[in-house]
Order: sequence, then C-alpha cells, then structure tokens
Amino acid sequence: MRIQSLILFALTTFLASGVLPGQGVTHEMLLHPPADSWPTYHGDYSGRRFSPLSKINASNINSLGLAWVFRTGVSGGVFGASVKATPLLVNGILYFTLPDHVWAVDARTGHELWHYQWESKGGIHLGNRGAGIYGSWLYFETPDCNLVSLNTKTGKERWHKQICDLDQMYYASTAPVIVKNHILTGVSGDDLDVPGYIESHDLETGDLQWRWYAHPQPGEPEAATWPNTEAMLHGGGMTWGESTYDPELNLIYFGTGNPQPVIQGSGRLGDNLYTESIVALNPDTGKIAWYFQPSPHDTHDWDAIQTPVLIDGEIDGVKRKLLAQASRNGYFFVLDRTNGKNIVTKKYAAANWAKGLDAKGQPIPDPAKMPQTDGALVSPNQGGAANWPPPSFSPDTGLFYINATDAYSVYYIFDVDQKPEGWGGNDKGGYSQLILKAIDYKTGDVRWAHKWEGQGSARSGVLSTAGNLVFAGDASNNLVALNASTGEPLWHVNLGNAPSNGPTTFELDGTQYLLVAAGDTLYSFAMLGK
Amino acid sequence: MTHFARLCLAGALLSHAAAVPGAAGQLPDGSQKQTVLKLCGTCHSANLVLGRGMTREQWGDTVSSMVARGAKGSPEEFSQVVDYLAANFPPKASATKAPAAATTKAKKPASIGQGADDQQVVDDVLADRGKKIYIAECITCHGPKARGANEGPPNLRGPDLVRSVTVLHDRYGNTIGAFLRQGHVTQSGTPSADFTATQIVDLSHFLHQRVGDTLRSGPFNSVLNVLTGDAKAGAAYFNGEGKCSTCHSPSGDLAGIARRYDPPTLQQRYLFPATPSFGGRNAKSGKPVILTVTPPDGPAVTGELVRLDDFNAALRDSAGDHHSWKRTPALKVEKNDPYATHNALLEQYTDKNIHDVVAYLETLK
Repeated sequence: MRIQSLILFALTTFLASGVLPGQGVTHEMLLHPPADSWPTYHGDYSGRRFSPLSKINASNINSLGLAWVFRTGVSGGVFGASVKATPLLVNGILYFTLPDHVWAVDARTGHELWHYQWESKGGIHLGNRGAGIYGSWLYFETPDCNLVSLNTKTGKERWHKQICDLDQMYYASTAPVIVKNHILTGVSGDDLDVPGYIESHDLETGDLQWRWYAHPQPGEPEAATWPNTEAMLHGGGMTWGESTYDPELNLIYFGTGNPQPVIQGSGRLGDNLYTESIVALNPDTGKIAWYFQPSPHDTHDWDAIQTPVLIDGEIDGVKRKLLAQASRNGYFFVLDRTNGKNIVTKKYAAANWAKGLDAKGQPIPDPAKMPQTDGALVSPNQGGAANWPPPSFSPDTGLFYINATDAYSVYYIFDVDQKPEGWGGNDKGGYSQLILKAIDYKTGDVRWAHKWEGQGSARSGVLSTAGNLVFAGDASNNLVALNASTGEPLWHVNLGNAPSNGPTTFELDGTQYLLVAAGDTLYSFAMLGK
Repeated sequence: MTHFARLCLAGALLSHAAAVPGAAGQLPDGSQKQTVLKLCGTCHSANLVLGRGMTREQWGDTVSSMVARGAKGSPEEFSQVVDYLAANFPPKASATKAPAAATTKAKKPASIGQGADDQQVVDDVLADRGKKIYIAECITCHGPKARGANEGPPNLRGPDLVRSVTVLHDRYGNTIGAFLRQGHVTQSGTPSADFTATQIVDLSHFLHQRVGDTLRSGPFNSVLNVLTGDAKAGAAYFNGEGKCSTCHSPSGDLAGIARRYDPPTLQQRYLFPATPSFGGRNAKSGKPVILTVTPPDGPAVTGELVRLDDFNAALRDSAGDHHSWKRTPALKVEKNDPYATHNALLEQYTDKNIHDVVAYLETLK
C-alpha cells in the first residue's frame, strides 16, 4: 500500500513537473538525499540537519584544514554582507544567496560559475536564507516580494512572480521549499498590521496553487481568539521559517510569527490564532490539519518560526512520529506530529513570562510580564532564547542541539492610543549569555550545556554528524566542533566574523567537506592530504 | 492636536539608493568607522543610516535596542558606534523649520528600509495643509490618527486609513484622488469630487505621514514614564534585600546620579550596567572584565580581558602590554566580571523592586 502510493506519487509528480530525472534535483533525491548532495534548505525534509557521514570524526578532527574560501565580493565599501543562506549542493555545485543575489560555485574548488543579481525595488534587506531547486531550476525570494526562477546551468531568469505587496511592507527572506509539485513560499514583515500567509506555487509556471492565511475565517471556532474580525484580519503571523515535511502523512510543518500590533496587545485580547503557532498543512490543498500554539497572545515578538524538527523516536517504549521545536520564547516542545498533541513542554533557557501550562501543554502568559508603560523585566529578550538559526537533532545521541540564549530586557508600551498599531512599544537594553544546549527529546531535560565565553550573542545554526560531532558558532567568531555526547570542545577555527548560517557537510570523491559562512564569505574545510 | 506635530526625528530618512549591498553610498570616514562596520555590518547595510538624522540620545536608544537584539561588541565599542552615528548623522536642521517654499523633494518617512523604494516622500508642509483638510472633512469618521472610528453612530465609523490598501498604494494622490473623485461623504458636505488636485496631494501627504508615524521607527516610539515606584520602598530594598548598599552609596558613587541620567536611562543603567545605554548626560561605558591568568611555570598576569574563548585567553595589562595564551588544563584562568552581581539579580528582581529602586535613585539629585 505504502510502496504503491509512493510510486503513484513519484509518477504523478514526475508527470506534473515534466522534468527528467537525472538532470538535477529529483523527488527521490529530496526524499533520500545522497551523501554528495544537500538538495534542500535543511538537507532533508526532517529538518534535523544530521549527517550520517563520519569520515570527519572526534578522533581526527584536528587534521581538518581549509579547502577553499569564496568571497561574495558584493559588500563593497559599505557594511559587510552576512550570508545566512544554507547553500544547496547538487551535482557538485553549490547554490547560495544574499538578498537580491544568487551564486553557483564549484563545491570542490570554490570557483564561481555564475552570479545573478536581481534589480530591487525595495523591502527590508536583513537576510536571505537560500534557494530551493527542482530539476535544473532554482527558486529564491527577493526582499521586494518576488519569487524568481533561474536556470541552474546558466543563472538566467526563467520567470518571476509577485508573492507579497511591498506597499503593505511585506518582504521576503525565506528559502523556498520544494514538496512534490509545490514551491512553498513564506513571507516576512511586521511593520504594519497585515496578515501572514504561506503560498504554494507551481514548479513549472510559478502560478499560485493555494494561499493559507495565518488566521481563521470569520465564524470558525478559532476566530473567538480575537476580539473582532478587523483585528483578526490585520493580525500578523508571518511565515518566515522553512517548512519540514512528512511524506507518509503528506503534511508540511512550519511556525508562524508574531501577532500585530507587535508589542501593544490591548487591541487584540485573546490567544490570536494562528499567530505564534506550529501548523500542519496538506501541501496539495493548503488545508490545515492541526495547530499548536507555543506563545498564545504573544506581546514580545517571539515568532514561533524555529525549525519544527521531525524525529522518529520512542516515547515510553512506543515508536512515535514526533515534532520538536526549541521555540524563541524559551520553551522546548515535543508534539505528536500526526495530530499536534503535546508530549513535552519544558523550559530550555531563562523564561519568566508564563504562569504555567494549560491543558494543551501551551504556556499561559503572565499579564504582569507583558510590556508595561513603566517597563517589565522579561526573559528572554526580543532576540529570543533561539531565533532563525537552525538547530540539529542527532538520532545517534538522541539529543537536540540548540545555540540558546539566556537573556533579559525591559519591555515598554509606547502607544497608549485606544487603537494601537504597528509595534506600539519595544524592548530595550539587556543582558544575554549564549549557551549551546543538548536536550533529551524524550523529557526536555538539558543533558549537557556548554556556555560560550565572550561578550557576543551572535548565534549560528548547528550541525550534528555520525562522527559524534556537533558544529556550532561560539560568541567569539569561532566555528567549534564539540563531542556530541559530552559537549567537550575539540576543534575550532576563528573566521574573523561570526558564523552566520547553518553549517553543512557532504562527501565528494570520497572526501568529506565541512561548509560554513561567516560574514560575506563561505569557508570550506576538508582533509585533503594524500 | 499637538500629537500631530511632526517631531524632528521624522526627518530620519533613507537614501533613495536601492538597498543593495555594494550599490549604496559610502559611510563617512571617521576614527570609529571600522567599529561601526564590525558591529552593525553583520545584519545591516549602510543604507540603514545613510540619510538618517537623530540626536545622540536617539542613536543611543537605537544602539541599545540593537544590543538587546543580539548585536555583539564591548561597551567601549558600542560607545564608539554611538559617537560615530551622532557625529555623522545628527538631526536634520531642515526638519525643524519650514522650507521657504513647499516642495515635494522632501523626505521619506523614518524607515528601516520597509516598503518600496519609490514610496511617497512626505513633505511636512504639504502634510500640514492636508491635516487641515482632514480635520475639516474626514476626522469624524476616520478618527484623530486616521486609524478609523470604532465608536459613535455606525454611519460615522469610517475605516482605518493607515491600513487602507488604497492609501498604501497611493503615490502623491493618484489612488486617493481616483477614489475621492467617485464621490465620498465629507463632513462639510463639499462633494469630494470637487477637491482640487492640490488638496488631494496635500491629503495624500498627510495620510502617508500617518503611516510613517505608525512604523516602529516613527517619532512617537519613546518611553513614557518609568517613575511609578515608591522611593521609600526603593530605599529599603537598596539597603536591605537588594544589598545594593554593599557596593554603592547615595553620598558616594551615586551622589547626583539623577542629574546625570534621565529616568528611563537610569532604569536601564541600573538593570544592565554592562550594556551601554546612552540617553543620559555624560554617559560612560561600563567597567572592563578583569582576567587573571597563571601559566604553569610563571607568575600570574592580570589585566583587562581582550578575548576569552574555549581555546585562547588574552588580556591587556596595566602597562598596556598584550598577553595571550593557548588554554590548557595547566593554565589557570580567573575571570572577574564587575557586573556579575547585577546579572545574577536579574533572576531575582520583581518589577516592583525595579520601579521602587528607580524612584529612589531619582531622589539622588
């Protein structure tokens, strides 16, 4: 039955896309990425960023050397650029982005094959997390609200489609994720009070297939989590994280961002669904299967867009399909991903804003720790206990690794108008301490924690490997490899800038490479000695 | 209507250049430019500040809130960033006085790069004229801030114009004018189709000004009042439970502290002394972390921490000499953070403690 449906699925999506297998990324490659590829943002659909490669391991990590460096060269005389993209690897070629820019680079040599630049009409240029590829077509989003498709061989544009309205101050920053014949595109922007949504576009034409809004429809039970329809239809919930996908359940998983107005919540009393929620959708229809809300009625800008990591694990001796998120609000959640039911809720970082948990396992916000005109001391701060940098889960150790922050700041209300809009407040100042934490997914207990010395709180993504290694950025511009079981630091390299993306690894010609970005530069490491 | 007054901060604007790395203008040279590049460049392009203008206090607030969002650097470096931004991007003089002739070559709303590059550049003089039209013809239904009216008779509850797609898509009256020409109720009974082209442009500037003021970078985003505590209770906490008097004295290091800082800055500095906040007069950056390193075969060396990670330690001694070591099990490293006690208190304070202590500190004039 399952095999039959998989064959049918492969066949229909193959026919729908019209792309010949072997030319580039195939559905088979996305479902089972080979060791010489990293074909989607998270490497595979699980979002766990665990590599089964072990040629680089705890016993030989100190032989790792620099293979090549690629400078984007677009930073010019102004502030340096920061590569937040996870480069994709397909047929020995890396593809990565900066806002408005895409590069194709030879993964063995760091040699540039092509560079594409989009002519921008505006939007916030804070970051771009990369591309999606299917067949020989690349897809990426631009700050000025376009989904652009390029030929992976030439870097020439095939088409572009508008995915949001710049005048309503949306912008776009996520890496599109390819699922079957769908390009999933999230949107960003929380300056004006506009609704968040996620779209699905056709692989070939880019035409819109469906759009799911991060709010219920008037009259639905969840609409009662808003005081009125206008607040609900202008309630935010941006979709700026990259989805994960379970092909057996045929569900995509992603988190939604903060409600609007961001800080002053007096005009939107209630839980504000589906903002700050982990959501499961059918990718063919855009229909919601279930939701779970990490931050009901958020007033701290704690977008719940952190990777919903899919874990095939065991709880009380029973095999379960799980989903884990280390959320920006300081709580670690484990859910049953078939139905969204909560299994674990536990703090993994400083968090003083909740009174307890409700029957569904969701934290209950403490009104005293909502922003106040005279200030409320809150942990975490606006940056959060975690943010967009991706975590990692190792099935070998059973540990979920997150570069976490214990942080405090003071949240203020600025706007005491009857109808606040936009932000209506903000947080100021703060203290933060960066700590790499390894969380037992079965209990939420922190098995080990490694505090990073240094004054910085810049954070990177995390990679774990079958070499019993965890790679993460510290607070001093180092990329560090640690023992995945114990947290002991083993190896480091100072990159001169904070590691700025999620590290990746792959094998080419029998050599395992480690790839990371810091600032405007990609660094590749390997053991190349003969 | 004083809240309609355009603050000089609204002079903050972006350069018209597309925010493309490498395609933008240069930051002015200055001794702290490299520090600015290092601390801010991780997330921002230079377009963020080019063309903006703010007071030192406002730049301090901005930088301080960036620290809360994860900006990375030492207090001294953040101080340099504020110095540089305040010196090179002061408030625009032109924003505080009316230009001789009305001109549409004014400025964009304060912005961090949101929206389209071709968004309307608000002219304050025209917006002021538009405000008069708005008050005469629109305010009853659309409210004092153009956020709509939710109270009053249903026929006078007009929609929110800040959220109006017609307004947001408008450039210099092109969509607002088209809408009004179709006929729309006005307060005076004047047919909206009779509005002159000039009136429509003026209204357009006023409405875009309202949108700009709604943004988080708008001019009304400041702390309102933190002096809500009980000074006596604050003094009791200071001398008792909080143990502040162990290190501080109202007649010693804290004498006249309320003269040096405004209350919001006082609150921030008391809670986060290691994090620079620059709102006050003569604001100083924090004290350095002290490192003492004892090599297995040599005497201890003490100095200001330069760098400490899992692999290396470095300090600058009192003679100004730099020392660095590879960390090994035999190398003893002691770190003395002068703010460790303050940081530990963050887990213990109640918000009442905080407001009481600030009220008490405010009495130390």
